[in-house]
Amino acid sequence: MPVKNPYLPELVTIQKIIDETPNIKSYQVVFNDLEKMKNFSFQPGQVGQLSVFGVGESTFVINSSPTRMDYLQFSVMKAGEVTAAIHDLYVGDQIGLRAPLGNWFPYEVMKDKKILFIGGGIGLAPLRTLILFMLDNRANYKNITIIYGARTPPDLCYKDDLKEWESRSDVELVLTVDNEYPGWEKRIGFVPTVLNEVAPSPDDTVAITCGPPIMIKFVLQNLAKLKFRDEDVITTLERRMKCGIGLCGRCNIGSKYVCKDGPVFSLAQLKELPEE
Amino acid sequence: MSLEKLKETVAKVFHEVDVVIGYKQGFDPLHATPCFITMPEQVDQLIWNPLCVQNLTSYLPFLKKKVGIVVKGCDSRTIIQYMQEGLIKRDNIVIVGLPCTGIISVKKVLHEIDNQPVESITFRDGSNVVVKTVKGQKILSLSDVCPDKCSTCQYPTPLIYDHLIGEPIKSDKPPESVYEDIREFEKKPLKERLEYWEKEFDRCIRCYACRNACPMCICQDSCIAETRDPHWMSQKLSITEKFMFHMIHAVHLAGRCVECGECERVCPMGIPVNKLKKKINLEMKELFGYEPGVNLEDKPPMYTFNVEERKIEEHKL
Amino acid sequence: MAQVGYLPKEKEKAFFETLSKNALVYVPCLEGDTVIFRPFSPERTLCFERSANIPPKTIIFPQSETLFSFDYKKNADDPQKTAIKLETNQEYPDVIIFGARPCDAKGFKIFDRVFMDTDTPDTYYKDRREKTVIVTISCESPSAGCFCTAVGGGPADKEGSDAIITELEKGYFIEPVTEKGKAIIKEPFIEDGSPYQKEAVERQKAANDMLKNPFSTDLTKISPSLFNSDEFWEQVVSKCISCGACTYLCPTCYCFNITDEQAVNKGERIRSWDACMFFHYTLEASGHNPRPTKFQRFKNRVGHKFVYYPEKYNGVIACCGCGRCIRYCPVSVDISEIVGYLRGSGIEPLKGPSKDGANAG
Repeated sequence: MPVKNPYLPELVTIQKIIDETPNIKSYQVVFNDLEKMKNFSFQPGQVGQLSVFGVGESTFVINSSPTRMDYLQFSVMKAGEVTAAIHDLYVGDQIGLRAPLGNWFPYEVMKDKKILFIGGGIGLAPLRTLILFMLDNRANYKNITIIYGARTPPDLCYKDDLKEWESRSDVELVLTVDNEYPGWEKRIGFVPTVLNEVAPSPDDTVAITCGPPIMIKFVLQNLAKLKFRDEDVITTLERRMKCGIGLCGRCNIGSKYVCKDGPVFSLAQLKELPEE
Repeated sequence: MSLEKLKETVAKVFHEVDVVIGYKQGFDPLHATPCFITMPEQVDQLIWNPLCVQNLTSYLPFLKKKVGIVVKGCDSRTIIQYMQEGLIKRDNIVIVGLPCTGIISVKKVLHEIDNQPVESITFRDGSNVVVKTVKGQKILSLSDVCPDKCSTCQYPTPLIYDHLIGEPIKSDKPPESVYEDIREFEKKPLKERLEYWEKEFDRCIRCYACRNACPMCICQDSCIAETRDPHWMSQKLSITEKFMFHMIHAVHLAGRCVECGECERVCPMGIPVNKLKKKINLEMKELFGYEPGVNLEDKPPMYTFNVEERKIEEHKL
Repeated sequence: MAQVGYLPKEKEKAFFETLSKNALVYVPCLEGDTVIFRPFSPERTLCFERSANIPPKTIIFPQSETLFSFDYKKNADDPQKTAIKLETNQEYPDVIIFGARPCDAKGFKIFDRVFMDTDTPDTYYKDRREKTVIVTISCESPSAGCFCTAVGGGPADKEGSDAIITELEKGYFIEPVTEKGKAIIKEPFIEDGSPYQKEAVERQKAANDMLKNPFSTDLTKISPSLFNSDEFWEQVVSKCISCGACTYLCPTCYCFNITDEQAVNKGERIRSWDACMFFHYTLEASGHNPRPTKFQRFKNRVGHKFVYYPEKYNGVIACCGCGRCIRYCPVSVDISEIVGYLRGSGIEPLKGPSKDGANAG
């Protein structure tokens, strides 16, 4: 059997585009090759490299759940060359996809535990795939709490999902925005501060967090103060990536590659890596 | 002895600044290497002889501290050019000037000794180089193994300094000799010149050693050779892309290149990139009467705009 | 059938010409003062006296190569729709690299672990590698900066070679190492090498004895306190100018970049060499850069070669001791000296080594 060329993307077509926030859009894609779509599987937390041919490739987490495989969803924040090019695309356009890449959330060891999600801004994207996965396997997990915040109410992602989760009785959703905003009646405060206010117990709980680097820094500090163990705190990292398969060398932190050994890392694993 | 005087002066200067940059012995007897002195004990490591080839001034625009620096004549031109362009503040540097009678070109010495590892090297009477290798001893004349810039050096004494080690030296080389090699090369037919450059640049690996070693090249971290926005050059290794990079680099240095020769010295593939910049400097001299890095009061021609340029007949263009 | 071969010097050119009929033969050629690997042709000047300026890694891992080309084709009936066609071309010729050095060959082994021993092998590298025969020439004497014996190599080390040659007075002694190497000694013009074996072994030993080990001890692990000290790196790396010469000339460096180039509706995705010493290497679109200073980048480079790679691959150091990074560095940064400090050589980096230099060949 010939060895698969790991750099060659599969072609996918954009089926739907959702405007999440002023600078974030979500894209639902399906493989042109329907057989491929049928046989595709991935784990929550894994990523894909989207190609705009002529511009380049970028890494995004597959934020739809493997339990809902009508399409694959990626959320793209406009930041650089490739993301700007993606934002210029329409429904029906074709792009390239190399997936699934990277490791995934260790949901097996989270069974029968309480789950605490802490997200900020677009950091909700990798958490979303796991939240949906867990909601579709609800019986396997105990309490699910989601603390999520953004700068302003328009910057909150997945507003439809948030509405649905708020209405569910088996999920506790805590929303916050950084500052006062006209029309916002709910909490105000930075996510790490709200975490302290909610003060969840570390017993039998796994905390999963993702967001801007500065938010993660304070969240991790506060989780430590709340006595969460390092093995029970999980986060996802981001680095500039190119090959996505651990060859080109650039996304390394010490001897680990964020594209291959990550992007999901536990705090215990992170503490063994050099500071970067 | 000038080395003793240099160490004495640096030991004094050390107290006025945060760091002093000089030369010390490198990994083998043939190489010197820059030395960043932050402790008084390190002053004793300093050396001063024809091995001191690097242009230490290229560190200046990036250091946000008070710096003491050791310069040769050619290096001092860089400092003057920096000051003309506002890239460094005169108050932040203390210049120790070294009048220089020439340095070696490591590549030329290695050529003379068949690339054998050097066991020892001594400099006699300011004009002879005695090199000892496994295969024996060879006496070379400094004028044979110095880089081209030394054979036509117009400024052996630094043009700007706070302390001068030794007596000033006057140049004994005729000014016309500086661009003689360019004028000779230009006599060749166009086709021959193109073939020459295509052959030379075929070896180029775009390592950017020439760019980073150039003291006047200060936008290294956002160089057009690598940016995507705007996307000037591809990463494809074709002769077109290589020409693009080198031509653009040479043009960016128009009226700024002080001909320190670092670009050619550092090229690991032995490409004479200095020639391109010298050619443009010759044009700048003839068009604007300007020589980079010589007079503090001069204004670099590419920094000024005259409605009527004296030597450009615009109607004829 | 002879187990070892011998090529008389007067038959050298004829031998290469015959080999060139069936394969692309790369030999080190002299251009001015530069030694560079070029396809053999009778007009070129061969040079086996010293290692090439740039290692032969460029033959199996080209500096730029097209991964695939893409073509946007508009649908004639419905111009709103475009189809995209992707095409690869992975046809490679048979290649013989003649005259690599043992350090260069060791570099290929470093590549192999990363590019082939993985569940996502790089098919471009793999296909080329499988079609390449590497014949190395053992070193007669070290060049300035060489330290192969300190990292587990040697002037006649066989790792990574298919066959190894030792230059004797009137010819070359050839020892096959792999099956591909055995095929080489069956080529025309190769005689039985057994009468020359003793002389070859003596020469190899003499070369080995000439190498000094710059590390006073290679049993001590790298000192973590020094490795993690910002001051240490600032002291030893201040003079670095952050170019890419060391990484591009290194036989074991394999970092690359992937960029797209487009002209109207067609284009290609290109893989090209990159260097961890460049600022933009880890620069993210947001503007954040985890390694913004050259000290951090240099620490990562030394760390990758001497700590991270050995961690992943059973203690194998990703450095072959060829010394090119030292010889061609514009400011003579000496990686062997820096690793010497980290390994507890007893020399304090701030005070510096003794005046006559550490590694005079």
